[in-house]
Amino acid sequence: MKLEVTSLTKCYGKTRALDGLSLAVESSRVLVLIGPSGGGKSTLLRVLGGLEIPDAGTVKINGAPLLSDAAALQTYRRKNGFLFQQFNLFPHLTARKNIALPLEKVLGHSPAEAHEMAEQALARFSLLDHADKLPAQLSGGQQQRVGIARAVARPPEILFLDEPTSALDPEMTAEVLELIQELAEAGQDIILSTHEMGFARAVADQVAFVAAGKIEEVSPPASLFGTPQSALCQRFLSRVMRY
Amino acid sequence: MTRRQLIANVLVALALVALAGWLFTVVFAMLGTRTDWSKAWEYRETLWRGWLVTLQISFAALLGSICFGLLFMLGQRSPLVVVRWTCRAFLEFVRDTPLLVHLLFGYFVIFAPLISRPLGEQGFDDKLIIGVLLLSVFEGAYLGEILRGGVESIPRTQWESARAVGFSPFQVYRYVIFPQALRRVLPAMAGLFVSLIKDSSLLNVIGVAEYFYNTKNFISRSYAGLEGYVPLALGYLILTLPVAWLSHWLEKRFRHET
Repeated sequence: MKLEVTSLTKCYGKTRALDGLSLAVESSRVLVLIGPSGGGKSTLLRVLGGLEIPDAGTVKINGAPLLSDAAALQTYRRKNGFLFQQFNLFPHLTARKNIALPLEKVLGHSPAEAHEMAEQALARFSLLDHADKLPAQLSGGQQQRVGIARAVARPPEILFLDEPTSALDPEMTAEVLELIQELAEAGQDIILSTHEMGFARAVADQVAFVAAGKIEEVSPPASLFGTPQSALCQRFLSRVMRY
Repeated sequence: MTRRQLIANVLVALALVALAGWLFTVVFAMLGTRTDWSKAWEYRETLWRGWLVTLQISFAALLGSICFGLLFMLGQRSPLVVVRWTCRAFLEFVRDTPLLVHLLFGYFVIFAPLISRPLGEQGFDDKLIIGVLLLSVFEGAYLGEILRGGVESIPRTQWESARAVGFSPFQVYRYVIFPQALRRVLPAMAGLFVSLIKDSSLLNVIGVAEYFYNTKNFISRSYAGLEGYVPLALGYLILTLPVAWLSHWLEKRFRHET
């Protein structure tokens, strides 16, 4: 995917979550956003994913500008996938129904087709045993995997993942990260934010360091983690890598 | 149950039965000779007609209050601040004034002069229609608040996830928010519907010939006492108990689900 973001600004009350952020990525399969909490990673992802309208600035994805009227954004969201930290699934529906319902109501598949596609999505990530369980009966890791299965049941143009493992214990984190890596290797375009540096290094082909509402640095993981240029990034990495 | 609890329970039960028995004996001793159940039987037709009207009013006002409730709920969530405030003020006014006043004022001052004649000419019972409308607005105001509470209790991530999978604003409500919110507010809603059935008896003040109105007439015409009030209470219980049971049953069912 090709990404051009110019002077993006987004304020919540008095806090400037994004402060004239610009980012240009020529071609990248997996773009990983890292940086301190409250630095603007989530807001950037939400703008890119069409969930939030920026106060100022423009976004172009694969050459197409991201519009800011509600109808255009809804169409845009329909062709992409988005996953939050937790509580992605609808608690009153089984895993299968969680996947099938959007296929049916948003994409217009027949109930039988949607059922079949949901089945395939679950089977792909070996979740078929849990098809008829409610989210409350699944572990946190399983819930996130079902969430991802829902997001990719119809392959999205870009999959956005906002700290998908931040609410999970290390074992569940591993099972979710494995799944994401699998998707990346299968050629899915992904933009994700994470605090798992090892994972970022392994899966990304571009890493962006976001802090104070700006992009401090963008480069391939080897150079960003090996020889970080900006002082902020150096300090952040030396801190998180210490333990 | 331990032995001590068992003994305590038995003793309290005996005391309660004795108290109730004593109360009944005293009341019946005073009324006993004058209580004549054949009076109620004589008036069975008007009582039955009144009960059917109460059933109709309850059912119509139930549907009506759901419509108004949804409207008030959406009004309070409107993006336009003027709509929100107007809605808020109206609800506050409706909820903080007695239904009796609404019925008298709404019927005699507002609606009767406006639409009674045209309704009458069309062959409708104007009192019944206006009464149901006023009752619907009153209960709808409470329902609006209940629904708003339910909708606002759904966590933000649910709204976001629903938008993220591409649902339209209507679909977000229809498939994600309402099914969850309704489960949470079901007990409160059932309580409201029970109130609605009981409140329908107030329609007698504008002359709707419902169950209470007909029973009252029967009592004053035949000098009945217990013969009138016992069927009155039973008639309302027959309507309210199923609603209460239904809500307990639904509540239990949904609790197992989540």
